[in-house]
Amino acid sequence: MIFHEIHSVYYRTVGKLLRALLVGVSSEADLRRIIQENAFEESILTILPALKEGKWPLMRPDRTTPLRHPPTQPLTLLEKRWLKAILLDPRIQLFDLSVHGLEAVMPLFTTADYCIYDQYTDGDPYTDAGYQERFRRILSAVRAKQPLKLEVECRRGGTECLTVCPARLEYSEKDDKFRLRCGGARRKVINLARIVSCVPADPEGSFAAPLPLVKRSVSLKIRNERNTPERVLLHFAHLEKQAVREDDGRYLVHLRYDAEDETEMLIRILSFGPMVEVVAPERFRNLIIARLKAQKSCGPI
Amino acid sequence: MSVYRELIKNFEKIRKIMREFYVYGFRNREEYRGKSARSYDDERRRLESWLGNHMRFVHTPEGKNVFISIDSRTEPCNPLYQAWKAKSFTDGDITLHFILFDILHNPSVMLSLKEILTAVDSYLSATGSAMVFDESTVRKKLKEYTELGLIVGEKSGKKRMYRRADAFPDELPPDVLHYFSEAAPCGVIGSFLLDGRPPMDGCFGFKHHYITSAMDSEVLADLFSAMQEKRIVTVSNLSRRADEPKRMRIIPLRVLISVQSGRQHLMAYHPENNMIKAFRVDYLSDVRPEEVSPRFDELRAELDWMQTRMWGVTVRGRTGIPARTEHVEFTVRVKPGEEHIIQRLEREKRVGYVEQLDEQTWRFTADVYDSGELRPWIRSFLCRISSLHCSNRAVENQFRNDLDAMYRMYGIGEEGT
Repeated sequence: MIFHEIHSVYYRTVGKLLRALLVGVSSEADLRRIIQENAFEESILTILPALKEGKWPLMRPDRTTPLRHPPTQPLTLLEKRWLKAILLDPRIQLFDLSVHGLEAVMPLFTTADYCIYDQYTDGDPYTDAGYQERFRRILSAVRAKQPLKLEVECRRGGTECLTVCPARLEYSEKDDKFRLRCGGARRKVINLARIVSCVPADPEGSFAAPLPLVKRSVSLKIRNERNTPERVLLHFAHLEKQAVREDDGRYLVHLRYDAEDETEMLIRILSFGPMVEVVAPERFRNLIIARLKAQKSCGPI
Repeated sequence: MSVYRELIKNFEKIRKIMREFYVYGFRNREEYRGKSARSYDDERRRLESWLGNHMRFVHTPEGKNVFISIDSRTEPCNPLYQAWKAKSFTDGDITLHFILFDILHNPSVMLSLKEILTAVDSYLSATGSAMVFDESTVRKKLKEYTELGLIVGEKSGKKRMYRRADAFPDELPPDVLHYFSEAAPCGVIGSFLLDGRPPMDGCFGFKHHYITSAMDSEVLADLFSAMQEKRIVTVSNLSRRADEPKRMRIIPLRVLISVQSGRQHLMAYHPENNMIKAFRVDYLSDVRPEEVSPRFDELRAELDWMQTRMWGVTVRGRTGIPARTEHVEFTVRVKPGEEHIIQRLEREKRVGYVEQLDEQTWRFTADVYDSGELRPWIRSFLCRISSLHCSNRAVENQFRNDLDAMYRMYGIGEEGT
């Protein structure tokens, strides 16, 4: 069962409070800090009074606990089944693990039980030994904030060498690819599958964090036909957005997207056809118009 | 009047409203049908407490709209998982939980119910509490925890003895749990496992990351469990067009996940119609496992075959009777230097094939159950489509009419001006 109190923020927080009491951390300020760091915004109004007033008799008035051991909880069967399921996922090979103890556990699911039907088919080669080795080196450099020297395949052939400060590995489920986001180099995003080799670089000076992504906005008018409002809002659900219903029954949706993804946004919006109209900014509207004019020039289809 | 509480007993109540706030967010307080103003206010307040600054407000002439706005690319962990960590409990539940695991602090400690009861009493008296647990309450809690896999109950002679379940010896590194908690189905379970670990700097980020499916995790887990055991299930389905949920008996076969629309569908055999059909997972609730189906393997093999003719989730025809497919083909012009368009055709096609007709023309061809499902994808090639043919003339005509409507909408005249 997923929705169970043993997984709740309250149980986790009380566990941390009891651990603190066992090692003598028991001032009011300490207890409040633990709750604020671990629980919800308003949890402080419940947890501390419940312990202090004895509703949950796990803390004595002198702020000691009758518990003798730091609270721990074994894994549930569901947690073990989920772990077994991810150990059967081909992507687990990226992590060089040797896991025992789940041999008798039935997986929660296998790759036969679900299918991502619209994922691009040129995903990263997770079973390739060279890719796996580079993935591990890069992941370890990300963890250690260790600069890397990379040899990267260029789109138009050949390779180039770069020294980068790796910040994080970004995974796209749609592309089924990992990309390295980095600072300190001309290229800020590098497809992992294009990296031919990587070795640690000498750390010189400060570790450069990647520049924040440049954001842009686009405003769409959506016709309330063919279930389009729901389809559009779900389709763009992963972006920051705001939707307002207009007097004419249409919906005005403002989206914020990453400037580097503008072409992708353009074709995603085009895919909704006449149900979605770009109303602002003019520059984005003109991009759509240019595509449609080019289509018109292809003649009748 | 009931007092506001931050925690909830029934997840279904919050599942719907959370989805409304996150996906839609254009409704005001008065538009939430079937909810009293107080209930709406309580649920909004809970979401504010769980999600903090992800909640947004906008004032419109109709009133104040509340919505959740999250750029999932900038979030290391799915914030909607918080809702799964807000289950309410009684004072007795939490007290007994911590005392029980303190008594059974090691798998080698094995005690009978009576011994556990005596030990519980000694903990309570140590705090001067008036709380009392009777035998039935402790037995029920031990049974519940045994079913969850936390406690192991073993017979020793005539007595049933209880111990904590063995620790899992090979803990997975937090990075691995973090990655799969975002990139695998039912990832909220990975998030529970991470909760027990020290906080970490996330090494992973996620792009094109649909986090809404988090709200369907319990339904999904129940469906997966049924599939693993090849079981029939009964489930409630509240479709978009219905006012009341319909109880159905189906054989779940596979979950189809879209990473381009954020939707998840269950493909299941519906005996009433003798069909394999698609059901939106977010419309399903209350999954109950029934008996094992002897037809599971046969039906899943049929679905495998059907998927070679499916672009999306639409299937046609009765089980055992092959359905007609629709032929679709379109050509695109690819100029020198635009080879990425050919790559797009190859990597984005789900069925069918791509072939070169001449130096600058490439054709995509497929036979599918519903050619209408390809329309959005074909439109994404607008600016270079030179021909389109569908055996379903309605789909072809709709495509052309839609294109004309787009020309009009953006003021593009006859000469492309």
